[in-house]
Amino acid sequence: MTDEILMTQSTMEHVEGSDQNINIKEESLPSEVEDRSVIHHVTEEEQGQLLFHEETIDLGGDEFGSEENETISEDSNNFIDKLNEHMMESVIISDSPNNSEDDTGELGCLQDIVETAEDKSDHSLEQVLDKEEIVTLSNESETDHDDTPKDISDMTSDSRTSLKEELTQEETKDESMFENEGTVQSVPSDNKTNSQEQMSEISSSQSSKDDPIPVCTIFSQSNQANSQPQLFLHDGFEPQMVKSPSFSSASETSAKTPPQVVQPSPSLSKFFGDTVNTNSLASDFFDSFTTSTFISVSNPNAGTSVPEKLSSLSTPLGESSPDSADPSYPMGIERSESGVSTASLETSQSPKPFSQIQAVFAGSDDPFATALNMSEIDRRNDAWLPSEETRNVLISVATQQYSTVFIDKENLTMPGLKFDNIQGDAVKDLMLRFLGEQAAAKRQVLNANSVEQSFVGLKQLINSKNWRAAVDLCGRLLTAHGQGYGKSGLPTSHTTDSLQLWFVRLALLVKLSLFQNAEMEFEPFGNLDQPDLYYEYYPHVYPGRRGSMVPFSMRILHAELQQYLGNPQESLDRLHNLKTICSKILRNLEQGLAEDGSMNNITQENRHASVQLWRSRLGRVMYSMANCLLMMKDYVLAVDTYHSVIKYYPEQEPQLLSGIGRIFLQIGDIKMAEKYFQDVERVSQKLDGLQNKIMVLMNRAFLHLGQNNFAEAHKFFTEILRIEPTNAVANNNAAVCLLYLGKLKDSLRQLEGMVQQDPKHYLHESVLFNLTTMYELESSRSMQKKQSLLEAVAVKEGDSFNTQCLKLG
Amino acid sequence: MEVNPPKQEHLLALKVMRLTKPTLFTNIPVTCEERDLPGDLFNQLMKDDPSTVNGAETLMLGEMLTLPQNFGNIFLGETFSSYISVHNDSNQIVKDILVKADLQTSSQRLNLSASNATVAELKSDCCIDDVIHHEVKEIGTHILVCAVSYTTQSGEKMYFRKFFKFQVLKPLDVKTKFYNAETDEVFLEAQIQNITTSPMFMEKVSLEPSMMYNVVELNTVKQVGEGVSTFGSRTYLQPMDTRQYLYCLKPKPEFAEKAGIIKGVTVIGKLDIVWKTNLGERGRLQTSQLQRMAPGYGDVRLSLEAIPDTVNLEEPFHITCKITNCSERTMDLVLEMCNTNSIHWCGVSGRQLGKLNPSSSLYLALTLLSSVQGLQSVSGLRLTDTFLKRTYEYDDIAQVCVVSSTIQVEG
Repeated sequence: MTDEILMTQSTMEHVEGSDQNINIKEESLPSEVEDRSVIHHVTEEEQGQLLFHEETIDLGGDEFGSEENETISEDSNNFIDKLNEHMMESVIISDSPNNSEDDTGELGCLQDIVETAEDKSDHSLEQVLDKEEIVTLSNESETDHDDTPKDISDMTSDSRTSLKEELTQEETKDESMFENEGTVQSVPSDNKTNSQEQMSEISSSQSSKDDPIPVCTIFSQSNQANSQPQLFLHDGFEPQMVKSPSFSSASETSAKTPPQVVQPSPSLSKFFGDTVNTNSLASDFFDSFTTSTFISVSNPNAGTSVPEKLSSLSTPLGESSPDSADPSYPMGIERSESGVSTASLETSQSPKPFSQIQAVFAGSDDPFATALNMSEIDRRNDAWLPSEETRNVLISVATQQYSTVFIDKENLTMPGLKFDNIQGDAVKDLMLRFLGEQAAAKRQVLNANSVEQSFVGLKQLINSKNWRAAVDLCGRLLTAHGQGYGKSGLPTSHTTDSLQLWFVRLALLVKLSLFQNAEMEFEPFGNLDQPDLYYEYYPHVYPGRRGSMVPFSMRILHAELQQYLGNPQESLDRLHNLKTICSKILRNLEQGLAEDGSMNNITQENRHASVQLWRSRLGRVMYSMANCLLMMKDYVLAVDTYHSVIKYYPEQEPQLLSGIGRIFLQIGDIKMAEKYFQDVERVSQKLDGLQNKIMVLMNRAFLHLGQNNFAEAHKFFTEILRIEPTNAVANNNAAVCLLYLGKLKDSLRQLEGMVQQDPKHYLHESVLFNLTTMYELESSRSMQKKQSLLEAVAVKEGDSFNTQCLKLG
Repeated sequence: MEVNPPKQEHLLALKVMRLTKPTLFTNIPVTCEERDLPGDLFNQLMKDDPSTVNGAETLMLGEMLTLPQNFGNIFLGETFSSYISVHNDSNQIVKDILVKADLQTSSQRLNLSASNATVAELKSDCCIDDVIHHEVKEIGTHILVCAVSYTTQSGEKMYFRKFFKFQVLKPLDVKTKFYNAETDEVFLEAQIQNITTSPMFMEKVSLEPSMMYNVVELNTVKQVGEGVSTFGSRTYLQPMDTRQYLYCLKPKPEFAEKAGIIKGVTVIGKLDIVWKTNLGERGRLQTSQLQRMAPGYGDVRLSLEAIPDTVNLEEPFHITCKITNCSERTMDLVLEMCNTNSIHWCGVSGRQLGKLNPSSSLYLALTLLSSVQGLQSVSGLRLTDTFLKRTYEYDDIAQVCVVSSTIQVEG
C-alpha cells in the first residue's frame, strides 16, 4: 500500500503531461459524494491563501485478488514482480481515458473540485492539475455485477436473507480463489558463512602426492593417505581399475570404529580434502573444461548410440595434466562392451580409492565375493526399491555381463544443462543503478572463476551464499562430466559424484526460487528410477555395489519442486511414492531382511542404524507432505501430518506443536491455537532450557496477537529479548507490534538497531522487507535509506541475496 | 495569469498504510544428508537463517512477522485499520499542524481521527502518527480523506488533502429455508457461503430468535456426553465453501396457543455471524430479520394430537384431533366422517360440535379401523360450518401402518 502511495507521487508527472486524458476522466466523474468538501475548497481557494493540493489514491483490492487467480504457487519473485507490474499497470490505466470510464460514478468529489478550480480561473488545465492531483490506481472492471436474488429464484421456498448492512448497490463478487496474503515466499537464507575455515581446511589437507595432478581433480584420482599410484585403464580388459569406495569404508569399519554411522563417502571426502588444486589456476580448469567439452562435442560417436566418452571428466585434455590423463582409456572399455547404450563403463575414473583392491574381485562372477565388498554404510544409504521394470533390466545387466543388454533410450537418463549461465549479482546491478559505478566496483563477491574448480570451491561458494556462482560451478563440473549444455538427450553415464553435483545444482536453484529452471533440468531424470541410476547397472565400475546413485535428498527435492510450480498434487503423489518405499524398506528390516528385501546377514548394530536412518527418512517425507498440505491450505490434513511427524522426530515435539498452533492462528481459530500452545507448555515443562522458555514466551506473544492485543504481544517479545537479546525473531516481531501501536519511530529504531548491531544475522529478507516498508511509510525520502541498506547488504551478502525485499525497483 | 505556476512543494508528507494483520514468513526448506556433497552445509545454512524455527528448520511456517504487502481486500463487518503518518520532510519547524482523517461512504461521512487537536509544532524529520480503526458497515466504495493543514515558518498557511479509495466487498452469502412442522415448530436451514478469498474460521453462527420463539441449535451431535460439531474437525470455511446450519424454533408457551392462528409474515429472528481470518482478524455480521410466511390453514385448522403409528388389522384404534378456529368469526361446526376403501370410522357421523369462538380450539377423540394392511392414509373428515354453509374437507391427515393381528404389535 505504501507502494501505491509512492506510485501516486511518481505519476504526478504523468498527470501533468497528459491533460486531455485527465480532463476526460474528470469530466466523467459525477459529483454527488463530496459536496461539503468542495464548498470548503472553494472558499479556501477564494481566500487565495492556501495552497491546495489533493491526491486520490485508489486502494482497490479486487485487482490483487483477481491477479492471483492465475496460480497459487507462483514463486515469490514472480509474485513480487507481478505486484510491481500490477502497480505500474494501474498507474498507466489511470492516465488513459479509456480506462477511466471505469471510475465513472465512483469518485464524485473529484469533478467538483475540478469545476471549482475552473470556475475560479479560466486558465489552462495545467493549473487545475497542479492543484488537484487525482490518481486512481484501480479500475473496477473486474468485478462482476450480478444480481444475486436471481440465483435462488429457482428455490421456491427459499427466502433470501439480505445482510443487514447491505446497500442497494449491486453486489460485487470477488471471484478470485486465493488469498492475498497467502504468498509463498522464497527465503534465501541469510547466514554468514565461514569461507576462512574452509580455506584453511583445504590447505591443511595438502597431501604429499608424488605427481601433482592439477587437473580436474573432482573426477580424477585420489590423493588420500592411502592412495595408491593412480592406475588407468589402458585397454578394455582391465575394468578392475574402477574403485569402489564402499570397499574401503567397509574394511575400515570392520577394523576400527564399528558404527561409522554417517560420514561423508570416501569419494567425497577425498574431494573435500583434495588440495592439489589449490595451487592450480582456476583458469586452467576452465580451459581444460572447455577443451574437453569441445572434444566430446566433436566426438563422432556422440551422436550415435555409442556411449559417450566421459574421459574428459577425470582427464581434462590439453595443458593441465598430461601425465594423469590418458584420453584413450575409455575406448578400451567400450570395445569390451560393444554394447549399444549399455552400461557404459568408461566411468572408470570414478575416484574410489580402493579400486585397486577391488580389482582382485572384479570380473569374477562370484556374487558372494562381491557382496562382501559392499560396505554397510553404502548399502544402508543407497538402498532403494526399483520398479518392476527397472529391476528386470538390472537383473539382466547383472546376469549378462558380457553380452549386450538392449535398453530403450527412453529408459535412460540423459541429463544436460538447460541454461548456460545464470551467474549474476543483482546486488551489484542495483548498486550500479543507484550508487554509481564507483560504489559498485567495491562490491566483491566470489564467483565461479574465483574459486577452485572443485568440490572445495563449490562448498566455499555455497557457504559464502554465492549460490548463483555455485550453480554455475556445478554446471562447469557437470560439463566436464559430459553433461553440459546441450548434452541433454545424449547418452552418458552416471557416477555418485555426477548425481551429487546435479543434486547440489538443483537444490541451489530451488533455494534461489528458480523453480522453472530446476524443473527443466530435472526433467531428463524422469522419476529417478531409470536403470542407469542404479549401481547394478555399472557392474564393472561399481562391482558388487547395489542401490541407487540418486541421493535421497534429491528425491525429496524432486517431489517438493512440483508444489512450488503450482502442482502440489503431483508433489503429494511423489511424496506418497517415497513414503511407500521407505515403509517397505523398514518392513524388510523388521523382518530380518536387508533393506532391499534380500537375504543378507546384518549385524544387530547395523540393523539398528539402518532402521534409524530409514525412520528419519520416512519422517522427512512426512515433513514434506505436511509442508505441501499447508501450502495447499488443507489445514486439517496438514495438522494431522505434522502430528505424525512428531512420531519420527520426537525431539521436535515442542516446535511442531507450536507450529500447529500457529497454523490455527493463521486460520483464525484462536481457541485451538491456545490449546496447542498449552500443550507446548506442558511438554516443555519437562525439558528445561532457554530455547523452550523462549518458545513458550513466543507462543504467548502470538496468542495475544491473535486476540488483537499488540501491546501485550509486544511485552512478551520484549521479554524474550531480555533472555536472549540477539533473538532476531523477537526483535523483528517486537518492532512490528510497535508499528501497530502507532509508534513508527520506535519501531524503526528497533529494527535499525538490530540491523546495525549484527548485520551478519539480521540482514534477512523479512527484516529488510519490514524495514523498507516502514521507510516508505515514514517519509518521502525512503529511497536514500533504502540505498544505505543496499550498501550494508553489499558488504555482507552473497550473490544469492533477494534484492526484491529492498523495494528499490 | 501564469499559465504554468511553479509547483509548490509541501513541507509535510502524508503517508497512509492499511494495517491488516501481519503474516508469518514461510521459507523453502532444502535439506541434505551428511553423506551428500554439501555435507551439513545446507542444514547449517537453514539453522543460521533467522526465519526458520530453531530446532525444526524443516518446518515451513516460521515465526517471523512480515508487514502487509498490499492493501488486500476489505469485507463488510471487518475493521478497517490504517496508519496515518505525517512527516516533516523539510528542515524547518512547521507549526499548527492539524491532521484530519474522514471516511466518506456512499451515505455518510465519518471522522476517524483519534484527536482533532492541533499539534503546536513539528520539528524536522519528526512525524505525527495516528492509527485509525473503523468497523466497516457499508458495502461499496469508501474514500479515506486525509487533510493536513499547517503553517510554515514564514507564516504561510498551507493545506493539502489526499484521497484513498477502496471497495468494501461482501464476505458471506447467506441463504435460508424454512420448514413448518405439524407441531408448530419451525425448522430453519441456513446456508452460509464464504465468498472471500481466504479461509474463514467461523467463530459463532447463532440464531437470535424473535420474542415469540425459543431456539434449539441442531449443529452438534451428542457423543459420550459431549457435543460434537456436525462439521467435524474442519472449523473453517475455505473460499467458496458453504456450510449448512440447522435450527429448530419452538413457539414460547405464551404464544403457543396463538401459534395456530399466526397468519402471514412472521419474524423469526436473525443470524449473528462472527468469523476470524488471518491471525485473528475479526469480522461480524448480522442478517436482517428473517421472515417466514406462515402456512395458511384456512378458516378451520385440524391437526392431530395423538395417533398410534402401528395398528392391527380390523381392530379399532383411537386418534385425537384438535380443531382450531382460525377465522375471525364464531363457527358452528358439524362433523361428518366418510369411509374410504380402507378406513372405516366408528361412531355417529354428522354430529354437532357446537360453537367455536375465533382462536379457540377443541379436542376430538375419534375411533376408526382399517380393513386393509399396509400404510394407510387417514382421510374422510368433513367439517361444515352451519353459519356459512361452508364445508371443509380433511383428507390425508396422517398415516398409520396396519399389520395383521397375528403379528404382535409392539408398544
